Amino acid sequence: MRTFILGLEWFFLLYFVLINVGYIALNLLAIPSLRRKTALRPLEDLPPVYSGFEPPVSLLVPAYNEEATIASSVRSLLQLDYPEFEIVVINDGSKDGTLEALKQAFQLEGFPEVYWRRINAQPIRTIYHSRTHANLRVIDKVNGGKADALNVGINASRFPLFCAMDADSILQRDSLRRVIEPFLDDPTAIASGGTVRIANGCTVSAGNLERVELPRNFLALLQIVEYLRAFLFGRMGWATIDAVLIISGAFGVFRKDAVVEAGGYKADTIGEDMELIVRLHRVMRARGEPYKIHFVPDPICWTEAPESLAVLKGQRIRWQRGLCESLHKNRDLLKTHGAGGPPGLLAYPFFMVFECYGPLIEVAGYVFMTAMFLVGQISGLAFGAFLALAFSLGFLLSVSALLLEEYAFHLYPRFSQMGMLICVAIAENLGYRQLVTYWRLIGLTRWLRGARSTWGTMTRKGSWQK
Amino acid sequence: MARAWPSDAEVAFALAVALGALAVALILLVAIALMRHVRRWRMERIAGAENGWRDALSEATEDPHDTRLAPIGRLEMPAFLVLWNHFQESLKGEAAERLGVLLTLNGIDRHVLRYIRKRSLRLRLIGITAAGHLREQRAWGELERLALHGGSIESFAAARALLRIEPRRALEVLAPALSGREDWSLARIGSIFQELGPQVVTGPLVTMLLKRPKRGLNRIVKLARFGHRDRISTIVRGWLGSSDEMEVLIAGLDYVEDDSDLPWAKGAARHVEWRVRMAAAKALGRIGGRGELAVLLELLRDPIWWVRYHAAQSLTHLHGLEPHELETLRENARDAFAADMLSQALAERRWQPVRLT
Repeated sequence: MRTFILGLEWFFLLYFVLINVGYIALNLLAIPSLRRKTALRPLEDLPPVYSGFEPPVSLLVPAYNEEATIASSVRSLLQLDYPEFEIVVINDGSKDGTLEALKQAFQLEGFPEVYWRRINAQPIRTIYHSRTHANLRVIDKVNGGKADALNVGINASRFPLFCAMDADSILQRDSLRRVIEPFLDDPTAIASGGTVRIANGCTVSAGNLERVELPRNFLALLQIVEYLRAFLFGRMGWATIDAVLIISGAFGVFRKDAVVEAGGYKADTIGEDMELIVRLHRVMRARGEPYKIHFVPDPICWTEAPESLAVLKGQRIRWQRGLCESLHKNRDLLKTHGAGGPPGLLAYPFFMVFECYGPLIEVAGYVFMTAMFLVGQISGLAFGAFLALAFSLGFLLSVSALLLEEYAFHLYPRFSQMGMLICVAIAENLGYRQLVTYWRLIGLTRWLRGARSTWGTMTRKGSWQK
Repeated sequence: MARAWPSDAEVAFALAVALGALAVALILLVAIALMRHVRRWRMERIAGAENGWRDALSEATEDPHDTRLAPIGRLEMPAFLVLWNHFQESLKGEAAERLGVLLTLNGIDRHVLRYIRKRSLRLRLIGITAAGHLREQRAWGELERLALHGGSIESFAAARALLRIEPRRALEVLAPALSGREDWSLARIGSIFQELGPQVVTGPLVTMLLKRPKRGLNRIVKLARFGHRDRISTIVRGWLGSSDEMEVLIAGLDYVEDDSDLPWAKGAARHVEWRVRMAAAKALGRIGGRGELAVLLELLRDPIWWVRYHAAQSLTHLHGLEPHELETLRENARDAFAADMLSQALAERRWQPVRLT
């Protein structure tokens, strides 16, 4: 018994050390990339000159019950600064007036377009063309979920690159130009994504971001620091070693033929965005083809974060299930006999151990240590040392994310804003992170039980929209 | 039961690590505060000077000799040059040249030359861009070295600067890199070629095309669109009968312009690669007539959507084919895909967009 307890204690300790060493390593990996990014700014900020060689892009906007916001979302997309793009809105069998709102706003009319079904998806009802905007089409289809809607969009799209996005993503005018840059410089680029930031508190007018502010809602504030950690050193660190496993479904650009050859989005997956990226790694590596998945650290997409515990809980459970599904459906990435490269040999095992099963180990660790303390197996001092260690390392990681933000972007210029974020970096370690870990554990157990996946609905308030 | 774990030494170690992490976090917080202070101090200095710089730069576009530019400190110089580069990018002709004169009159060209050799990539890029706008011959050697041996971004910035300084000479130096360096995107090269204009780029493009390099010919063929079409066309069309390279055939089909090219275009319509068949469909629509009806109808049954689409488009624009004949073709089409595609092409032709006021 004593040996068993001792073994468990060392197991939790080892896990704790490895996860923190992993995050610190990602942090260090992100630094040179961000340094380079800031060095290139004098060139990147020059007025863009287009040559006509920029690859045209199809913006795919899946919409389900978006009656209130869809017209203004499309209007803001029409204003993007990019030489050639089309917008394809896919109405995924909405039960509200989404289609009517679009018809009215853009003078849509049914058009006898030949639909090229390269990826299996639910049938379409009608394809509409806009009489007011030549680059806008709307596809009305039978409900099948976001992934299915994106597959229909890919089938109907006309350009070699497509941009998958959420109908309510808030972009800047240059977002598309920035996320497509990797495709200009790298012929092997097959996907590119960017940093997603939280829009709560910001001023958004007609779908465009006008001013960056911190939210007043404390839960949204907590998520700001969380997103900074996830994107600035999480994804940026993996990107440095070509091992990005996630491109946010809110805004990401893909080479269409690579996605079609990989089979498109999996409609039976809840985390279709991550699943596609992991599968692209697996398929491309199995074929031995050169490819690259890029990550642009610029904040190019802004999204509304949940402001209530119930909505946040639902979101995190869904994300965790999606992550577990994505990893398990692509186990072969690990088995590519040494050809898995950084994604297969480093990122995949890291995600599997620390992101997929991590919540189970972490919650078990907390419960175990508390139980050991209560039965007197661990002294108060030792228990306190364990908690202090967890807190201080968590705080260190959050502060390092704030440092990267300050160094590379400086989006929150006022001292009061940074002061607030530092307070949040302290507060999030005192219950919030543990709560999120618990929700992720629920997501993990639901995935293990095999619950059915549906459209990820999230109650959005949009109170900051003008 | 005796306590299993941890020993006092292990607890002390855990506490030490926790304290160490907190100490590092505090150091990072101090770093954030310092960074903010430095940035704010610098921004205030720049903000104070920037309005004056803008006024001076605007005045200099009229007469640089009469423009008074207040002395610029070492720390503000990069910000000034970034602003100057911005002005340059949005100006052309004499106004841009006058801005260059302003820099020389104030001795700032020396800073530009120094920046090109700096260790900091940011300063180097500012210097390289400014040297290009200044048409700074003294920077040629260093820029050539950077263009041929530097990393992707830096080498391209240097190439761009060389092309601004002396385009014809630069094109000679850079020709192998323009075709061979895949990390120099065609979109970026294209924007420079567009800026230089066909007068400058046609000659070097013709030379590069005639050499017909094995590596990168497809890139040169694509860039050829920035040259004078008549001179490029003669060369590229000549390849139609002698090349199997897909990109070359596609480019050649883009240049076909009269009946004499019809045999090549018809031959390409049977090519195994669908993008060549698509280019053939487009070319036949441009130069063909009733005689090409059979080939286009065959392409209308192609397994690839895009080939069918362009075949249908070409049919709707084919010389001498009346709208009612197209309707008859559609009604009599035995292939449902072909009929649908023709319906789409006819609908697109009839589609009247509403003009927004």
